[in-house]
Amino acid sequence: MEIFALFDCIITPACLISQTAGGLKIGMLLFLVASGLTLVFGVLGVINFAHGALYMLGAYFSWQVMSITGHFGLAVISGAIGVGIFGLIFERLLINKVYNSDLLVQILLCYSVILILDDLVMIIWGDEFLSGIGVPEVFQVPPLFIFDAIIPPFHIAIIVISMIVALLLWIIMTKTKFGKLVRATAVNPRMLEALGINTNVIKAGVFMLGSFLAGLGGALAASLGSVVSGMGNSIIIESFIVTVIGGMGSISGAFLASIIIGMARSFGAVAMPLFTDGIMFLIMVLVLVMKPEGLMGKKK
Amino acid sequence: MGFLKKDNFERDAFIGLIVWIFLLIFYFVIPSPGIHDIIQKVFILGLFAMSLNILIGYLGLVAFGHATFFAAGAYTLGLFLQSSIVNNLGSLSIPAAIISAIFISTVLAAFIGAICIRLKDIYFSFLTLAFQMLIYSIILALVSITGGDQGLMGGFPKPPFLGIDLGKPFDFYAFTIFISIITIVLLRQLIESPFGYGLRMIRDNPDRPAALGFNNQRHKLIAFIIAGSIAGLAGSLQALLDVGAYPEWAFWAKSAEPLFMILLGGMHSFLGPLMGAFIFEILNDFVTANTRYYGLVLGLVILSFVLGLRRGLLDWLLIKFYRK
Amino acid sequence: MLKISGISKSFGGIKATDNVSIELKPNSINALIGPNGAGKTTIFNLITGKISVDDGEIFIGNNNITNLKETEITHIGIARAFQITNIFSTLSVKESIKMALLAKIHGLNNMWDRFSSHSVNEEANNIAELTGLKKVYNTISSELSHGDQKLLDIALALALKPKVLLLDEPTAGMGPEERWEMIKRIKELWQKTKMTVLFIEHDMDIVFDIAQTIFVLQQGSVIAKGTPKEIKKNQDVIKAYLGGGKK
Ligand SMILES: Nc1ncnc2c1ncn2[C@@H]1O[C@H](COP(=O)(O)OP(=O)(O)OP(=O)(O)O)[C@@H](O)[C@H]1O
Ligand SMILES: [Mg+2]
Repeated sequence: MEIFALFDCIITPACLISQTAGGLKIGMLLFLVASGLTLVFGVLGVINFAHGALYMLGAYFSWQVMSITGHFGLAVISGAIGVGIFGLIFERLLINKVYNSDLLVQILLCYSVILILDDLVMIIWGDEFLSGIGVPEVFQVPPLFIFDAIIPPFHIAIIVISMIVALLLWIIMTKTKFGKLVRATAVNPRMLEALGINTNVIKAGVFMLGSFLAGLGGALAASLGSVVSGMGNSIIIESFIVTVIGGMGSISGAFLASIIIGMARSFGAVAMPLFTDGIMFLIMVLVLVMKPEGLMGKKK
Repeated sequence: MGFLKKDNFERDAFIGLIVWIFLLIFYFVIPSPGIHDIIQKVFILGLFAMSLNILIGYLGLVAFGHATFFAAGAYTLGLFLQSSIVNNLGSLSIPAAIISAIFISTVLAAFIGAICIRLKDIYFSFLTLAFQMLIYSIILALVSITGGDQGLMGGFPKPPFLGIDLGKPFDFYAFTIFISIITIVLLRQLIESPFGYGLRMIRDNPDRPAALGFNNQRHKLIAFIIAGSIAGLAGSLQALLDVGAYPEWAFWAKSAEPLFMILLGGMHSFLGPLMGAFIFEILNDFVTANTRYYGLVLGLVILSFVLGLRRGLLDWLLIKFYRK
Repeated sequence: MLKISGISKSFGGIKATDNVSIELKPNSINALIGPNGAGKTTIFNLITGKISVDDGEIFIGNNNITNLKETEITHIGIARAFQITNIFSTLSVKESIKMALLAKIHGLNNMWDRFSSHSVNEEANNIAELTGLKKVYNTISSELSHGDQKLLDIALALALKPKVLLLDEPTAGMGPEERWEMIKRIKELWQKTKMTVLFIEHDMDIVFDIAQTIFVLQQGSVIAKGTPKEIKKNQDVIKAYLGGGKK
């Protein structure tokens, strides 16, 4: 453990700023994915284990569109929308059959979908690493130097995009009619049905939105790194961590938790390079033991 | 032979002995190393799945970190046999290593269990998952001891004991199955004892037992510890088989494997998970021999069990032909 | 036998139980009545330690059981049957009763015997006969009729051989005939076992028929107590039930 390295980093502006920016980037990307997971859990009561596989699909879809059109923006958007539509089909075909089932059945159903999708993308796109969709041209400029910290402008763009998405999500959930219906569905679906509102449509809509967010996260991740089968298997665990720490079903909690995890990863890499993941799980254990409902979740 | 008619320990032990002898004869009748390998793996994985089913099937707790104890058993055995203790213990090494493996996973299960059982439902599942991944991270971080992401390499000696040389395929086969069958017979005693019915009671209705003067939490913890120790035993046998231990055994995906077996075989019959392990192994063997896309096939099989049959194969068979 | 003195309990500012005192004589059969939401079940929960008492004390004989754990209080001698039937869905009647018998003697830690051949079989049989469950002895609980499920819930409590038996609306959800059958059975049980019984019941005819002492609860307070005759004449009770009350 290199506590001194951490200390050195914190008192050096360059290191402090670059690690903070790095942590924010990781955290905000994570938020995109995790917010979808927590939204789906909060409203539908289903832990969508396959959420990471949807993230992976987002990366592949955007890679495909990129390789055909060469247009970055189009690739990312179609990755997200494509996964949204895929999610809708997934919900109508499979997920809605297990809304009232045991946790075990839900986990197994989702896990089987992970296995299937991981292999399907290999069959379609091959099992080699695909080299990602890269950074759009506007951002292929020299990095910014802030107090000697090197910060790629594209990372700032990712942070900003994610913040905008977070804001939009907040507006949708609190200010729109759809958001009100969604919250009402989470609390009392019977009541809505009695009022003649088809909650199935709302549930499908929520699942679609959750999938869209996973796809968006995957598409953006494809711009930062490579695309490969199984790439969802670590993001899903990180999303679980965020969901648990923030409070299951709480989107604002997920926002807070994403930043915490982003920072833990970024500074953890300095302090304990071999145990960066361990720090996250330690935080998860501590939260579950001391405050199982999460930082911003409602007490049962 | 009157005891054979009654459902009791003696009968189970007798049946276990017969099955063991039968499998020994089978070894010579069908001299195929591939098949022998499958059989011993079915027992090892079966122990792993059956131990988890104490929690899932009988207690109704979806533990999602059971591989923790499997890995703990495997690493303990490996590290024990790689250490210099072996020089002093000589022929006692293997039994001592297995006992240590069980001991360490028991202690770990007691510690993790005491914390986890206070939570319910999905929170319990998440906490077991978190602990598992924490242990996984520790294994990866302690490179000098565990070999990090390479796993425990370099092999270890398997000194013969009581005339059993685990380096020989037959000895290993006979030994592994013998240990597994003993454990299964003991486990059946546990499940059919008043203690075992206490588990079903908690599963059916966790609210009521307190009003009968019964302490749920203590019961759950004991079950959790027993489940962990059996998983540790399974892990130690696996390590003996592979002469090593790997961090993937502590990864969350490894905890999904016994869940599949429980799903495939059935969680409401005692031997369901063992049957599940059998289906899992056969599927594994058959599919990997024919296609690279094992996940696709396994995924489709699981999906059809979840949505089609809606219960494990043994559960289904028992309902169809026996319990009508 | 059971002595409750001045207990109170609030849920988030609302007083569900307000300075309630109740005393039950040994071998007596008593009723606790009151409109919906009066706090009857809450009092049972307080007595049995399912929820904690804010204020006041509870005794069984000379034992102060205030705020002991639910399991401890059960072993000291209080057993209850629940308003919403609370049984073990996959266990048979026989198995369920045996579980309760074993729980009583801490026998559920036993790992070395077979449950099926365990020695409490005979006692379980007796309890099934006492409660009239013999005809469905090997039926799985979830497949029992509603009335039998209620009886099983009571049988589980009886298996604990309690000094005080608390029954929360034993006739809830039953038709008139079934109701009277249940009441007859409870009366018999009480006469045979010599327990102290406190039951909650909405049907006044039943209450007046079998209770020796009646406690009337309204909004968390006992507004009257006495024999059926006294209660029938009590002005407060008449007001509570006829004027304004939900019943
Ligand atoms: N655990 C609890 N938390 C919060 N409020 C509670 C709790 N238990 C009971 N209450 C409230 O206390 C009041 C009394 O409830 P209680 O169940 O004791 O009534 P009751 O007399 O048994 O009614 P009923 O005849 O409907 O069974 C109600 O307003 C109820 O909502
Ligand atoms: Mg009530």
